[in-house]
Amino acid sequence: MADAVLQLEGVEKRFGALEVLRGIDLDIAKGEVVCVLGPSGSGKSTLLRCINLLEPPNGGRILLEGNEITAGRGKNPLGVDYVRRRVGMVFQQFNLFPHKSAMENVALAQQTVLGRGQKEAREKAAGLLERVGLGDKLNEYPDRLSGGQQQRVAIARALAMDPHVMLFDEVTSALDPELIKEVLDVMRELADEGMTMIVVTHEMGFARDVGDRVVFMDQGVVVEQGPARQVIENPKEERTKRFLGLVLEH
Amino acid sequence: MDVIIEQYFDLDIIRDNFSVVLDGFEQTLLLSGIAGALSLTWGLILALLRQLPGKAMAPVRAVTIAYIDAFRGIPLLLIMLLVSGGFGALAADGTLPESIGIPRWFGKPDPFWYGVIAITITYGAYMAEVYRAGIEAVPGGQMEAARSLGMSHRESMRYVIVPQAVRKVIPPLLNDFIALMKDTSLVSVLGFVEVVQAGRDIQSETFNSSALTLGAIFFLIFTIPLARMVDYMIARQQRRVGRGGGPVAEPAPAGAAGTGQTGGPV
Repeated sequence: MADAVLQLEGVEKRFGALEVLRGIDLDIAKGEVVCVLGPSGSGKSTLLRCINLLEPPNGGRILLEGNEITAGRGKNPLGVDYVRRRVGMVFQQFNLFPHKSAMENVALAQQTVLGRGQKEAREKAAGLLERVGLGDKLNEYPDRLSGGQQQRVAIARALAMDPHVMLFDEVTSALDPELIKEVLDVMRELADEGMTMIVVTHEMGFARDVGDRVVFMDQGVVVEQGPARQVIENPKEERTKRFLGLVLEH
Repeated sequence: MDVIIEQYFDLDIIRDNFSVVLDGFEQTLLLSGIAGALSLTWGLILALLRQLPGKAMAPVRAVTIAYIDAFRGIPLLLIMLLVSGGFGALAADGTLPESIGIPRWFGKPDPFWYGVIAITITYGAYMAEVYRAGIEAVPGGQMEAARSLGMSHRESMRYVIVPQAVRKVIPPLLNDFIALMKDTSLVSVLGFVEVVQAGRDIQSETFNSSALTLGAIFFLIFTIPLARMVDYMIARQQRRVGRGGGPVAEPAPAGAAGTGQTGGPV
Protein backbone atom coordinates (compact mmCIF):
# COMPACT_ATOMS: atom_id res chain seq x y z
CA MET A 1 0.00 0.00 0.00
CA ALA A 2 1.60 3.19 -1.16
CA ASP A 3 0.22 5.60 1.40
CA ALA A 4 0.26 3.21 4.34
CA VAL A 5 0.87 4.94 7.66
CA LEU A 6 1.26 1.66 9.48
CA GLN A 7 2.29 -1.72 8.14
CA LEU A 8 2.22 -4.80 10.34
CA GLU A 9 3.89 -7.90 9.00
CA GLY A 10 3.52 -11.14 10.90
CA VAL A 11 3.47 -9.48 14.31
CA GLU A 12 3.74 -11.97 17.17
CA LYS A 13 3.52 -11.49 20.92
CA ARG A 14 3.90 -14.04 23.68
CA PHE A 15 3.53 -13.73 27.42
CA GLY A 16 5.49 -16.72 28.61
CA ALA A 17 3.87 -19.76 27.03
CA LEU A 18 0.75 -17.82 26.09
CA GLU A 19 0.68 -16.77 22.43
CA VAL A 20 -1.44 -13.64 22.35
CA LEU A 21 -0.68 -12.52 18.80
CA ARG A 22 0.07 -15.20 16.22
CA GLY A 23 1.17 -13.40 13.09
CA ILE A 24 -0.86 -10.27 12.42
CA ASP A 25 -0.66 -8.67 8.96
CA LEU A 26 -2.36 -5.32 8.65
CA ASP A 27 -1.91 -2.15 6.60
CA ILE A 28 -3.47 1.10 7.71
CA ALA A 29 -3.81 3.91 5.17
CA LYS A 30 -3.56 7.57 5.96
CA GLY A 31 -6.87 8.91 7.23
CA GLU A 32 -8.35 5.46 7.60
CA VAL A 33 -10.48 4.50 10.60
CA VAL A 34 -10.00 0.83 11.41
CA CYS A 35 -12.20 -0.73 14.08
CA VAL A 36 -10.93 -3.91 15.70
CA LEU A 37 -13.56 -6.25 17.06
CA GLY A 38 -13.29 -9.56 18.81
CA PRO A 39 -14.00 -11.47 21.98
CA SER A 40 -12.02 -10.65 25.11
CA GLY A 41 -8.64 -12.31 25.12
CA SER A 42 -8.46 -12.22 21.32
CA GLY A 43 -5.37 -9.96 21.44
CA LYS A 44 -6.99 -6.67 20.36
CA SER A 45 -5.54 -4.59 23.19
CA THR A 46 -2.17 -6.28 22.93
CA LEU A 47 -2.12 -5.40 19.23
CA LEU A 48 -2.50 -1.71 20.06
CA ARG A 49 0.11 -1.93 22.79
CA CYS A 50 2.53 -3.54 20.36
CA ILE A 51 2.03 -0.74 17.84
CA ASN A 52 3.24 1.92 20.27
CA LEU A 53 5.76 -0.51 21.77
CA LEU A 54 4.28 -0.52 25.27
CA GLU A 55 4.64 -4.24 24.64
CA PRO A 56 7.53 -5.00 22.28
CA PRO A 57 6.51 -7.67 19.75
CA ASN A 58 8.36 -10.99 19.85
CA GLY A 59 8.27 -11.43 16.09
CA GLY A 60 7.36 -9.78 12.83
CA ARG A 61 7.84 -6.17 11.76
CA ILE A 62 5.99 -2.93 12.23
CA LEU A 63 6.63 -0.01 9.87
CA LEU A 64 5.51 3.48 10.78
CA GLU A 65 5.39 5.76 7.74
CA GLY A 66 7.79 3.42 6.00
CA ASN A 67 10.32 3.22 8.83
CA GLU A 68 10.72 -0.01 10.71
CA ILE A 69 10.18 0.54 14.42
CA THR A 70 10.71 -3.03 15.57
CA ALA A 71 14.19 -3.76 14.27
CA GLY A 72 16.10 -5.98 16.65
CA ARG A 73 13.46 -6.24 19.35
CA GLY A 74 14.08 -3.56 21.95
CA LYS A 75 16.96 -2.12 19.92
CA ASN A 76 14.80 -0.02 17.69
CA PRO A 77 17.22 2.42 16.00
CA LEU A 78 14.58 5.15 16.00
CA GLY A 79 13.79 4.68 19.69
CA VAL A 80 10.47 4.27 21.42
CA ASP A 81 10.15 8.02 21.72
CA TYR A 82 10.10 8.34 17.91
CA VAL A 83 7.10 6.05 17.86
CA ARG A 84 5.26 7.55 20.78
CA ARG A 85 5.56 11.09 19.53
CA ARG A 86 3.75 10.02 16.38
CA VAL A 87 1.29 7.55 17.85
CA GLY A 88 -1.20 8.75 20.45
CA MET A 89 -3.01 6.34 22.74
CA VAL A 90 -6.17 6.55 24.80
CA PHE A 91 -6.80 3.93 27.48
CA GLN A 92 -9.86 2.20 28.85
CA GLN A 93 -9.14 3.52 32.35
CA PHE A 94 -8.39 7.10 31.18
CA ASN A 95 -5.17 7.21 33.22
CA LEU A 96 -5.33 10.95 33.74
CA PHE A 97 -2.73 12.34 36.12
CA PRO A 98 -4.82 12.86 39.28
CA HIS A 99 -2.54 15.50 40.78
CA LYS A 100 -2.85 17.77 37.75
CA SER A 101 -5.75 19.80 36.42
CA ALA A 102 -7.33 19.07 33.05
CA MET A 103 -5.25 21.86 31.53
CA GLU A 104 -2.02 20.60 33.12
CA ASN A 105 -2.77 17.05 31.99
CA VAL A 106 -2.91 18.24 28.40
CA ALA A 107 0.03 20.65 28.71
CA LEU A 108 2.57 18.49 30.59
CA ALA A 109 4.00 16.32 27.80
CA GLN A 110 3.92 19.22 25.35
CA GLN A 111 6.39 20.98 27.61
CA THR A 112 8.57 18.03 28.63
CA VAL A 113 8.60 16.11 25.35
CA LEU A 114 8.04 18.69 22.62
CA GLY A 115 9.78 21.52 24.47
CA ARG A 116 6.91 23.94 24.02
CA GLY A 117 6.83 26.93 26.33
CA GLN A 118 4.25 27.02 29.09
CA LYS A 119 2.19 29.70 27.39
CA GLU A 120 2.07 27.90 24.07
CA ALA A 121 1.33 24.54 25.71
CA ARG A 122 -1.49 26.00 27.77
CA GLU A 123 -3.02 27.79 24.81
CA LYS A 124 -2.95 24.60 22.82
CA ALA A 125 -4.40 22.68 25.80
CA ALA A 126 -7.21 25.20 26.22
CA GLY A 127 -8.02 24.99 22.51
CA LEU A 128 -8.14 21.19 22.54
CA LEU A 129 -10.24 21.03 25.71
CA GLU A 130 -12.61 23.51 24.09
CA ARG A 131 -12.78 21.25 21.07
CA VAL A 132 -13.75 18.19 23.16
CA GLY A 133 -16.41 20.27 24.88
CA LEU A 134 -14.60 20.96 28.14
CA GLY A 135 -13.75 24.62 27.73
CA ASP A 136 -15.36 25.31 31.10
CA LYS A 137 -13.39 22.62 32.97
CA LEU A 138 -9.82 23.75 32.31
CA ASN A 139 -8.86 23.99 35.96
CA GLU A 140 -10.82 21.03 37.30
CA TYR A 141 -8.96 18.04 38.71
CA PRO A 142 -9.78 14.58 37.39
CA ASP A 143 -11.63 13.47 40.53
CA ARG A 144 -14.12 16.28 39.92
CA LEU A 145 -14.87 15.10 36.38
CA SER A 146 -17.22 12.36 35.21
CA GLY A 147 -15.81 9.34 33.40
CA GLY A 148 -16.87 10.72 30.05
CA GLN A 149 -15.27 14.06 30.78
CA GLN A 150 -12.09 12.38 31.95
CA GLN A 151 -11.92 10.33 28.80
CA ARG A 152 -12.34 13.45 26.67
CA VAL A 153 -9.47 15.09 28.57
CA ALA A 154 -7.43 11.96 27.82
CA ILE A 155 -8.22 12.31 24.11
CA ALA A 156 -7.21 15.98 24.19
CA ARG A 157 -4.01 15.01 26.00
CA ALA A 158 -3.08 12.56 23.24
CA LEU A 159 -4.03 15.03 20.48
CA ALA A 160 -1.82 17.70 22.04
CA MET A 161 1.22 15.81 20.81
CA ASP A 162 0.06 16.19 17.18
CA PRO A 163 0.02 12.43 16.58
CA HIS A 164 -0.11 10.97 13.10
CA VAL A 165 -2.06 7.96 14.32
CA MET A 166 -4.42 7.59 17.29
CA LEU A 167 -5.00 4.29 19.09
CA PHE A 168 -8.19 3.85 21.13
CA ASP A 169 -8.22 0.90 23.52
CA GLU A 170 -11.82 0.16 24.54
CA VAL A 171 -12.17 3.76 25.58
CA THR A 172 -15.88 3.54 26.38
CA SER A 173 -15.85 0.20 28.19
CA ALA A 174 -15.39 1.72 31.65
CA LEU A 175 -18.08 4.35 31.13
CA ASP A 176 -21.68 4.46 32.29
CA PRO A 177 -24.00 4.04 29.29
CA GLU A 178 -25.18 7.65 29.29
CA LEU A 179 -21.59 8.92 29.06
CA ILE A 180 -20.56 6.81 26.09
CA LYS A 181 -22.07 9.04 23.42
CA GLU A 182 -20.14 12.17 24.35
CA VAL A 183 -16.87 10.28 23.93
CA LEU A 184 -17.91 8.61 20.69
CA ASP A 185 -19.01 11.98 19.31
CA VAL A 186 -15.52 13.37 19.86
CA MET A 187 -14.04 10.35 18.11
CA ARG A 188 -16.47 10.70 15.24
CA GLU A 189 -15.44 14.32 14.74
CA LEU A 190 -11.82 13.31 14.81
CA ALA A 191 -12.49 10.70 12.13
CA ASP A 192 -14.31 13.28 10.01
CA GLU A 193 -11.28 15.54 10.21
CA GLY A 194 -9.17 12.81 8.64
CA MET A 195 -7.26 11.41 11.63
CA THR A 196 -5.85 7.94 11.13
CA MET A 197 -7.39 5.84 13.89
CA ILE A 198 -7.28 2.29 15.16
CA VAL A 199 -10.21 1.72 17.46
CA VAL A 200 -10.61 -1.38 19.61
CA THR A 201 -14.24 -1.30 20.57
CA HIS A 202 -17.42 -3.16 21.41
CA GLU A 203 -19.56 -0.34 20.05
CA MET A 204 -20.98 -1.98 16.90
CA GLY A 205 -22.89 1.11 15.87
CA PHE A 206 -19.75 3.22 15.97
CA ALA A 207 -17.77 0.59 14.08
CA ARG A 208 -20.43 0.33 11.38
CA ASP A 209 -21.03 4.05 10.92
CA VAL A 210 -17.60 5.56 11.50
CA GLY A 211 -15.23 2.74 10.66
CA ASP A 212 -13.88 2.53 7.13
CA ARG A 213 -12.83 -0.99 7.80
CA VAL A 214 -13.53 -3.58 10.43
CA VAL A 215 -10.99 -6.16 11.51
CA PHE A 216 -12.32 -9.15 13.41
CA MET A 217 -9.77 -10.90 15.61
CA ASP A 218 -9.97 -14.13 17.55
CA GLN A 219 -7.27 -16.11 19.35
CA GLY A 220 -4.47 -13.89 18.18
CA VAL A 221 -5.19 -13.90 14.46
CA VAL A 222 -7.21 -11.74 12.06
CA VAL A 223 -10.18 -13.90 11.16
CA GLU A 224 -11.86 -11.53 8.75
CA GLN A 225 -11.61 -7.95 7.58
CA GLY A 226 -13.34 -5.74 5.11
CA PRO A 227 -15.50 -2.65 4.70
CA ALA A 228 -17.16 -1.93 8.04
CA ARG A 229 -20.76 -2.28 6.99
CA GLN A 230 -20.12 -5.46 5.04
CA VAL A 231 -18.30 -7.28 7.85
CA ILE A 232 -20.85 -6.34 10.48
CA GLU A 233 -23.97 -6.94 8.39
CA ASN A 234 -22.76 -9.81 6.19
CA PRO A 235 -19.82 -11.55 7.85
CA LYS A 236 -18.34 -14.39 5.82
CA GLU A 237 -16.59 -16.35 8.53
CA GLU A 238 -18.43 -18.59 10.94
CA ARG A 239 -16.55 -17.24 13.98
CA THR A 240 -17.39 -13.67 13.06
CA LYS A 241 -21.05 -14.57 12.66
CA ARG A 242 -21.12 -16.28 16.03
CA PHE A 243 -19.45 -13.34 17.78
CA LEU A 244 -21.67 -10.73 16.13
CA GLY A 245 -24.71 -12.85 16.88
CA LEU A 246 -23.86 -12.84 20.57
CA VAL A 247 -23.08 -9.14 20.63
CA LEU A 248 -26.01 -7.91 18.57
CA GLU A 249 -28.58 -10.04 20.40
CA HIS A 250 -28.97 -7.48 23.12
CA MET B 1 5.02 7.87 97.14
CA ASP B 2 6.56 11.21 97.94
CA VAL B 3 9.95 9.69 97.33
CA ILE B 4 8.89 8.66 93.85
CA ILE B 5 7.43 12.05 93.03
CA GLU B 6 10.56 13.75 94.31
CA GLN B 7 12.79 11.44 92.27
CA TYR B 8 11.03 12.20 88.99
CA PHE B 9 9.22 15.48 89.46
CA ASP B 10 11.40 17.62 91.74
CA LEU B 11 10.29 21.11 90.72
CA ASP B 12 13.37 22.77 92.23
CA ILE B 13 15.69 20.65 90.15
CA ILE B 14 13.56 21.17 87.07
CA ARG B 15 13.58 24.95 87.59
CA ASP B 16 17.32 25.16 88.31
CA ASN B 17 18.26 23.10 85.26
CA PHE B 18 15.56 24.18 82.84
CA SER B 19 17.83 26.21 80.57
CA VAL B 20 20.50 23.47 80.44
CA VAL B 21 17.96 20.86 79.41
CA LEU B 22 16.39 23.27 76.96
CA ASP B 23 19.79 23.91 75.40
CA GLY B 24 20.20 20.16 75.07
CA PHE B 25 16.82 19.88 73.43
CA GLU B 26 17.77 22.59 70.96
CA GLN B 27 20.66 20.38 69.89
CA THR B 28 18.23 17.45 69.60
CA LEU B 29 15.99 19.50 67.32
CA LEU B 30 18.93 20.62 65.23
CA LEU B 31 20.15 17.04 64.86
CA SER B 32 16.64 15.86 63.99
CA GLY B 33 16.11 18.61 61.44
CA ILE B 34 19.38 18.14 59.57
CA ALA B 35 19.44 14.34 59.76
CA GLY B 36 15.72 14.22 58.92
CA ALA B 37 16.10 16.35 55.79
CA LEU B 38 19.13 14.37 54.63
CA SER B 39 17.41 11.03 55.30
CA LEU B 40 14.34 12.09 53.32
CA THR B 41 16.54 13.04 50.37
CA TRP B 42 18.81 10.02 50.55
CA GLY B 43 15.83 7.70 50.94
CA LEU B 44 14.21 9.09 47.79
CA ILE B 45 17.45 8.73 45.84
CA LEU B 46 17.74 5.10 46.97
CA ALA B 47 14.12 4.39 46.06
CA LEU B 48 14.60 5.86 42.57
CA LEU B 49 17.81 3.89 42.02
CA ARG B 50 15.93 0.77 43.01
CA GLN B 51 13.26 1.47 40.37
CA LEU B 52 15.58 2.08 37.42
CA PRO B 53 14.33 0.01 34.48
CA GLY B 54 16.14 -2.27 32.07
CA LYS B 55 18.81 -4.95 32.10
CA ALA B 56 21.70 -2.49 32.10
CA MET B 57 20.60 -1.11 35.47
CA ALA B 58 20.35 -4.50 37.15
CA PRO B 59 23.67 -4.05 39.03
CA VAL B 60 22.55 -0.66 40.33
CA ARG B 61 19.29 -2.17 41.55
CA ALA B 62 21.14 -5.08 43.19
CA VAL B 63 23.59 -2.81 45.03
CA THR B 64 20.75 -0.56 46.19
CA ILE B 65 18.74 -3.49 47.50
CA ALA B 66 21.81 -4.86 49.29
CA TYR B 67 22.41 -1.46 50.90
CA ILE B 68 18.82 -1.16 52.07
CA ASP B 69 18.76 -4.71 53.44
CA ALA B 70 22.05 -4.20 55.26
CA PHE B 71 21.34 -0.90 56.95
CA ARG B 72 17.80 -1.75 57.92
CA GLY B 73 19.20 -4.74 59.74
CA ILE B 74 22.00 -3.13 61.75
CA PRO B 75 21.34 -1.20 64.97
CA LEU B 76 21.79 2.54 64.60
CA LEU B 77 24.00 2.63 67.70
CA LEU B 78 26.41 0.22 66.03
CA ILE B 79 26.49 2.35 62.86
CA MET B 80 27.24 5.42 64.98
CA LEU B 81 30.18 3.67 66.60
CA LEU B 82 31.42 2.43 63.22
CA VAL B 83 31.20 5.93 61.73
CA SER B 84 32.73 7.86 64.63
CA GLY B 85 35.56 5.44 65.41
CA GLY B 86 36.22 4.57 61.78
CA PHE B 87 36.18 8.07 60.34
CA GLY B 88 38.44 9.39 63.07
CA ALA B 89 40.98 6.61 62.55
CA LEU B 90 40.91 7.01 58.77
CA ALA B 91 41.55 10.73 59.15
CA ALA B 92 44.40 10.06 61.55
CA ASP B 93 46.31 7.89 59.06
CA GLY B 94 45.50 10.20 56.16
CA THR B 95 43.11 7.96 54.22
CA LEU B 96 40.37 10.54 54.64
CA PRO B 97 41.08 14.27 54.57
CA GLU B 98 40.69 15.70 58.04
CA SER B 99 37.78 17.93 57.01
CA ILE B 100 35.75 14.80 56.26
CA GLY B 101 37.22 12.33 58.76
CA ILE B 102 36.79 14.76 61.63
CA PRO B 103 33.95 16.98 60.41
CA ARG B 104 33.45 20.25 62.27
CA TRP B 105 31.17 21.91 59.73
CA PHE B 106 29.20 25.04 60.62
CA GLY B 107 30.78 25.21 64.07
CA LYS B 108 29.31 21.90 65.18
CA PRO B 109 31.62 19.33 66.80
CA ASP B 110 32.49 16.05 65.05
CA PRO B 111 30.20 13.79 67.17
CA PHE B 112 27.27 15.88 65.96
CA TRP B 113 28.17 15.15 62.33
CA TYR B 114 28.99 11.49 62.99
CA GLY B 115 25.47 11.27 64.38
CA VAL B 116 23.99 12.99 61.33
CA ILE B 117 25.88 10.67 58.97
CA ALA B 118 24.93 7.50 60.87
CA ILE B 119 21.27 8.52 61.14
CA THR B 120 21.14 9.38 57.42
CA ILE B 121 22.71 6.05 56.46
CA THR B 122 20.19 4.11 58.53
CA TYR B 123 17.03 6.16 58.13
CA GLY B 124 17.72 6.64 54.42
CA ALA B 125 17.34 2.87 54.11
CA TYR B 126 14.08 2.87 56.10
CA MET B 127 12.64 5.75 54.16
CA ALA B 128 13.65 4.23 50.82
CA GLU B 129 11.30 1.38 51.61
CA VAL B 130 8.51 3.81 52.46
CA TYR B 131 8.99 5.66 49.17
CA ARG B 132 9.08 2.37 47.32
CA ALA B 133 5.73 1.40 48.77
CA GLY B 134 4.40 4.75 47.59
CA ILE B 135 5.81 4.39 44.09
CA GLU B 136 4.40 0.89 43.79
CA ALA B 137 1.01 2.11 44.98
CA VAL B 138 0.71 4.40 41.95
CA PRO B 139 -1.32 2.45 39.37
CA GLY B 140 0.70 1.02 36.45
CA GLY B 141 -1.52 2.91 34.02
CA GLN B 142 0.05 6.18 35.15
CA MET B 143 3.50 5.18 33.93
CA GLU B 144 1.99 3.80 30.72
CA ALA B 145 0.08 6.99 30.05
CA ALA B 146 3.18 9.09 30.62
CA ARG B 147 5.34 6.83 28.45
CA SER B 148 2.71 6.69 25.71
CA LEU B 149 2.93 10.49 25.50
CA GLY B 150 6.63 10.14 24.73
CA MET B 151 7.94 11.01 28.18
CA SER B 152 11.12 9.17 29.24
CA HIS B 153 11.25 6.99 32.34
CA ARG B 154 12.95 9.83 34.15
CA GLU B 155 10.42 12.47 33.12
CA SER B 156 7.58 10.12 33.97
CA MET B 157 9.00 9.52 37.44
CA ARG B 158 9.65 13.18 38.04
CA TYR B 159 6.39 14.68 36.85
CA VAL B 160 3.88 11.86 37.24
CA ILE B 161 4.89 9.04 39.59
CA VAL B 162 6.93 10.63 42.38
CA PRO B 163 4.55 13.54 43.08
CA GLN B 164 1.71 11.06 43.56
CA ALA B 165 3.86 8.62 45.53
CA VAL B 166 5.13 11.27 47.94
CA ARG B 167 1.61 12.39 48.74
CA LYS B 168 0.68 8.84 49.63
CA VAL B 169 3.66 8.33 51.95
CA ILE B 170 3.78 11.59 53.91
CA PRO B 171 2.11 9.97 56.96
CA PRO B 172 4.49 6.99 57.19
CA LEU B 173 7.44 9.30 56.54
CA LEU B 174 6.34 11.47 59.46
CA ASN B 175 6.15 8.33 61.59
CA ASP B 176 9.71 7.55 60.63
CA PHE B 177 10.67 11.10 61.49
CA ILE B 178 9.24 10.70 64.99
CA ALA B 179 11.35 7.57 65.43
CA LEU B 180 14.38 9.39 64.04
CA MET B 181 13.91 12.25 66.46
CA LYS B 182 13.93 9.86 69.40
CA ASP B 183 16.95 8.01 68.04
CA THR B 184 19.04 11.18 67.99
CA SER B 185 19.53 10.51 71.72
CA LEU B 186 21.98 7.78 70.72
CA VAL B 187 24.47 10.48 69.77
CA SER B 188 25.01 10.95 73.51
CA VAL B 189 27.24 7.86 73.48
CA LEU B 190 29.61 9.72 71.14
CA GLY B 191 30.01 12.44 73.77
CA PHE B 192 27.66 14.98 72.27
CA VAL B 193 25.45 16.79 74.75
CA GLU B 194 21.87 16.74 73.54
CA VAL B 195 18.82 16.57 75.74
CA VAL B 196 19.34 13.05 77.09
CA GLN B 197 23.01 13.57 77.85
CA ALA B 198 22.20 16.91 79.51
CA GLY B 199 19.66 15.14 81.72
CA ARG B 200 22.08 12.35 82.55
CA ASP B 201 24.77 14.82 83.60
CA ILE B 202 22.34 16.44 86.01
CA GLN B 203 21.15 13.03 87.19
CA SER B 204 24.66 11.99 88.12
CA GLU B 205 25.32 15.27 89.94
CA THR B 206 22.06 15.35 91.92
CA PHE B 207 21.07 11.68 92.13
CA ASN B 208 17.68 12.89 90.93
CA SER B 209 15.99 12.08 87.60
CA SER B 210 13.75 15.09 87.21
CA ALA B 211 15.93 16.68 84.53
CA LEU B 212 15.43 13.57 82.41
CA THR B 213 11.70 13.82 83.03
CA LEU B 214 11.86 17.36 81.71
CA GLY B 215 13.66 16.06 78.62
CA ALA B 216 10.91 13.48 78.13
CA ILE B 217 8.31 16.24 78.34
CA PHE B 218 10.14 18.25 75.68
CA PHE B 219 10.02 15.21 73.40
CA LEU B 220 6.31 14.72 73.98
CA ILE B 221 5.58 18.34 73.14
CA PHE B 222 6.83 17.56 69.64
CA THR B 223 6.01 13.91 69.13
CA ILE B 224 2.36 13.88 70.28
CA PRO B 225 1.21 16.63 67.87
CA LEU B 226 3.21 14.95 65.08
CA ALA B 227 1.56 11.62 65.79
CA ARG B 228 -1.88 13.29 65.87
CA MET B 229 -1.12 14.94 62.55
CA VAL B 230 -0.22 11.56 61.06
CA ASP B 231 -3.53 10.10 62.29
CA TYR B 232 -5.42 13.03 60.85
CA MET B 233 -3.73 12.75 57.46
CA ILE B 234 -4.33 9.02 57.26
CA ALA B 235 -7.99 9.48 58.16
CA ARG B 236 -8.33 12.17 55.49
CA GLN B 237 -6.69 9.96 52.88
CA GLN B 238 -9.04 7.11 53.74
CA ARG B 239 -12.04 9.39 53.42
CA ARG B 240 -10.84 10.37 49.96
CA VAL B 241 -10.42 6.76 48.93
CA GLY B 242 -13.85 6.02 50.37
CA ARG B 243 -15.33 8.68 48.13
CA GLY B 244 -13.70 6.92 45.20
CA GLY B 245 -11.24 9.51 43.97
CA GLY B 246 -11.73 8.81 40.29
CA PRO B 247 -9.99 6.05 38.39
CA VAL B 248 -6.93 6.26 40.59
CA ALA B 249 -8.56 4.17 43.27
CA GLU B 250 -9.72 1.56 40.79
CA PRO B 251 -7.76 -1.59 40.03
CA ALA B 252 -6.15 -1.95 36.63
CA PRO B 253 -8.27 -3.74 34.04
CA ALA B 254 -7.73 -7.46 33.89
CA GLY B 255 -7.14 -9.37 30.71
CA ALA B 256 -4.50 -10.29 28.21
CA ALA B 257 -3.21 -6.76 28.12
CA GLY B 258 -1.30 -7.41 31.32
CA THR B 259 -0.49 -4.70 33.81
CA GLY B 260 2.42 -3.25 31.90
CA GLN B 261 4.58 -3.59 35.00
CA THR B 262 6.52 -6.44 33.46
CA GLY B 263 9.83 -5.55 31.83
CA GLY B 264 9.62 -4.12 28.34
CA PRO B 265 10.37 -0.55 27.37
CA VAL B 266 7.55 0.85 29.52
